[in-house]
Amino acid sequence: MKKQSLLLAITALVALAGCSEKNAETTEKAIASSTTEVSKPASSDPFKMVLRHIHIRETALPTLKLLEEVVQKTEEEVPGLKFTLDGVEDTVNRNVKLKAEMASGTQPPIFSLFGGADTQNYSKAGRLLALNDIMAEVGIQDSFFDLREFTVDGKIYGLPESGYIEGFFYNKKLFADAGVEVPTTWDDLLVAMEKLKAKGITPLAMGAGGGDGWVANMLVNNLMIALGGPSLQEGFASGATKWTDPAVVETFKRVADLVDKKYIDPNVLGLAFAEGQATFYTGKAAMLFDGSWAVNAIIGDTSVVKDSTGFFRFPDVDGAGDGYINGGWSNGYGFSADLKDNELQAVKAFIKNFYTLDNQARILGETNQIPAMKGITEVKGASELITMIGKQQGSAKGAYPAFDAFVQTSVKVELETIVQELLGGKIKPEAAAERMQKAQESANAEGK
Amino acid sequence: MSKIYKNYTAYFIFVVPALLLYITFYLIPLFNSLRYSFTDWNGINDPVYTGFGNFAKALADEKFWVAFKNNAYFVGFSVFIQVPLIIFISIIVSGVKRFLGFYKLTVFLPSILSTASVSIIWKFIYAPEAGLLNQVLRTIGLDSWVKIWLGDEAYAIFAVLVTNGWQWTGFYIVLILAAIFAISKEVLEAGEIDGATGWTKARLLTIPLIRPVIGVTLLLSVTGAMKALDIVLIMTKGGPFGSTELMATYMYKQAYSMNDFGYANAIAIVITLFTALVTLGLQFFNNRSKEDAY
Amino acid sequence: MNNKPKRRILPHVILMAYVLSVLYPLWFVVVSSMKNNTEMFNDPWGLPPSWNLTNYASVLSNSLVIRNFMNSMFIGLIATVTTILLSTAIAYALTRMKFKSLNRIVYGLLLLSLLIPPASLLIPLYTMIQELGLYNTYFALIIPYAAFGIPLTVFVVSAFLKSIPLELEEAGVMDGLTTYGILLRVIIPLTMPTLVTVFILNFINNWNEYIMASLFLSSQELRTMPVAVVAFADKFNMNYGALTASIAISIFPVILMYSFFQKSIIEGVTAGSVKG
Repeated sequence: MKKQSLLLAITALVALAGCSEKNAETTEKAIASSTTEVSKPASSDPFKMVLRHIHIRETALPTLKLLEEVVQKTEEEVPGLKFTLDGVEDTVNRNVKLKAEMASGTQPPIFSLFGGADTQNYSKAGRLLALNDIMAEVGIQDSFFDLREFTVDGKIYGLPESGYIEGFFYNKKLFADAGVEVPTTWDDLLVAMEKLKAKGITPLAMGAGGGDGWVANMLVNNLMIALGGPSLQEGFASGATKWTDPAVVETFKRVADLVDKKYIDPNVLGLAFAEGQATFYTGKAAMLFDGSWAVNAIIGDTSVVKDSTGFFRFPDVDGAGDGYINGGWSNGYGFSADLKDNELQAVKAFIKNFYTLDNQARILGETNQIPAMKGITEVKGASELITMIGKQQGSAKGAYPAFDAFVQTSVKVELETIVQELLGGKIKPEAAAERMQKAQESANAEGK
Repeated sequence: MSKIYKNYTAYFIFVVPALLLYITFYLIPLFNSLRYSFTDWNGINDPVYTGFGNFAKALADEKFWVAFKNNAYFVGFSVFIQVPLIIFISIIVSGVKRFLGFYKLTVFLPSILSTASVSIIWKFIYAPEAGLLNQVLRTIGLDSWVKIWLGDEAYAIFAVLVTNGWQWTGFYIVLILAAIFAISKEVLEAGEIDGATGWTKARLLTIPLIRPVIGVTLLLSVTGAMKALDIVLIMTKGGPFGSTELMATYMYKQAYSMNDFGYANAIAIVITLFTALVTLGLQFFNNRSKEDAY
Repeated sequence: MNNKPKRRILPHVILMAYVLSVLYPLWFVVVSSMKNNTEMFNDPWGLPPSWNLTNYASVLSNSLVIRNFMNSMFIGLIATVTTILLSTAIAYALTRMKFKSLNRIVYGLLLLSLLIPPASLLIPLYTMIQELGLYNTYFALIIPYAAFGIPLTVFVVSAFLKSIPLELEEAGVMDGLTTYGILLRVIIPLTMPTLVTVFILNFINNWNEYIMASLFLSSQELRTMPVAVVAFADKFNMNYGALTASIAISIFPVILMYSFFQKSIIEGVTAGSVKG
């Protein structure tokens, strides 16, 4: 306690000194220019701000370190500012804590935020700060790959910290053993799977049991868009497109076919996501369909495939969506709409310090995540695999977000259930499509 | 005696602090939950009053009834399998002298673990390839019994039931053991002089004497079964395709993943009502089968 | 005394079978804490290839683990003691004191708790904790934990009190004890085995509680063990070895505590007993 108040006293002194210096030099740029005369004396008073993040795990230490450095730099720049880092497990934060705070209007000034439905709900409740002006001021208005998930009615309410793309990871050694080339079309993929199976190798690892139906949905989503084009999923909620459209039915048929032919691990419903991943990195299966977040597990110390894994994007199916890649930038930071002047200053400084190309390059190099900002040319320390993924991303025609950005939560959950039934052989593709459309219609009718 | 036990000040001191704490942190939130059950509320914007709409929705919701059926399995399992097993093991343990400490320690161990840890362990028991259960079955030649336990809707709920039973049986055994050990020596010795030994002694002496505690065990395990949540949430999240959903997990999902807090609260109230019914039934049988203090 | 050897062995055979079903799954925690992910998935139930303690080292090297551990101890103990004191008093009043209709109301109110699924209380509780200014203090957990333990403890203790004959208390009254005196001198010593049991049960609940602990506290320094353990369970990059090692570390003290306390559950009761 004592130590802390001493620290506060020191920062206050330093801040005062800094302030008088500034006054002598007559107004500096960025920060000072945006504050009004009235708030100026207040800005040198010590103040604390909570920053809610989700980097609490052992595996997130590099990300946390980066955040801490940005925090320190921001504290140095903003007189009197002291951040309190509040790390909370991501689902607890997202599903309970932040929600309760948003309901009562007590959200922290800076917090980890998900794009899509969360951002829409919170912005409608007036809790989120629109960032368009700040971004222009800092000069990053055109720096991001994709801000669609954080944009509501033209206003940007959050900034992604990193992104992901989805595709096939494959075991180069098992491919070579079975004499299989990297497939570029769906038919090639089926041929490859058949050859692998003939060799006694599980072609595609997958753990989509229990609550992990979303794992199978990644594959469904990609196939559906490849066949029907990116606009397919944008129309479900408005009724412009239907789950009974041929592209969706064909998707369900092909997935059912992969199950029938035992190309997908027959244990799929008995395995959780992490266990499906393990089937791949212990060398028991030739392919894994997953997001780029899987890189860390795949190149982990004990993985048997860390030096022999490659990545290819979803093969062409001769459909409207060929060449597009599923990728999203959906987790990042949001800011409270209810800020005092000095807090607003701190938020600006944080955005300026956090969203830089240097930091983005570090995110890529140290944590193997796809950056959110454009223009990174060379990265030290990036793994071969993530570099390969980056190239695949670069060669794509464009990216589209996961379908759940466009449909109601109840529809997303229903698809998880139905695709699990499909994997278990409990439902016919046509019936699956009809049930999906029914769920979609009742969600549309409820208007949520 | 009656003066001692008709002391208002003492009663006030004994009852009020505990009750105050309990009401503040238990009943007031419950009251709030009741209010929200009559509204349409996404947890953020202002709730909109909808009358009994949420309750009607629950009663017409197929998925809710699947969950209800699974809770019924849970209750049945605890009443007909778990509680008898608990009493049986407790009586055996109370009768041994060698290794008594060892038994009391080991029997209780599963209840020390958090549900998350228990789930991790049992997932590796049920794992399809390397899982313990399937390995054992293959070793003893019962290959046809090998199943994808948590991925097959015919077995998943029972797999979870067994896990839950494994975790909590020891907890209740210790409870019953404490009751058995609290029976005064004189009473038991008197019984032995009359020639009651072994199971006769258990049936005629021990069980009647620990009736209140057995009643509590039954009450706790049945109400626990009605409210069961975390074991399913961690092990299967209600999957595969909703076949292991429980009423409480369904409620939890409606609230925290679907943002339908009004509906979730209505389900919470329905669970409360159902549990009250079951509890009343239980009390009824309890009272009918011989004297009980309440 | 019954000396038929069969009678003496049969109970042990049954119990050993049961104990095996309990211990073998726990064995899994021990062996996996010495494996890496690949070893774990290839042979989850087998012996580790080497007696490798790096997982333990990596858990303990996390500077806050000891601190989290002490927090859990502190919060768990205070909350449990509070629960036991309050509940014993209320159970005593309900089973012994002559306020029939009041007793029924209080008992009924407590019974209500058994019916409520606690998950439905999370959001209202969270809001309340914030409004009361308890958020991110030890009290944010101590008070709800103490409150949540009360109903169960009251039921168990009441059930035990009902089975204690009144004669002992009457003797106490003869000796001139007051209402409080009887509670302290007669009831509490008599129910000690039960109190120890409910103490252990409540402590374990508090020790393992995760959701409230992650909701009501925010600073790293206050965090409890279950929240710390989650740091080793990254869904996208699971480290099973470190996870099981952290589980082992977190259950060890509870086992120690239990094996210490469990003696008192029977001491003084079986001493010199001639049961058989």
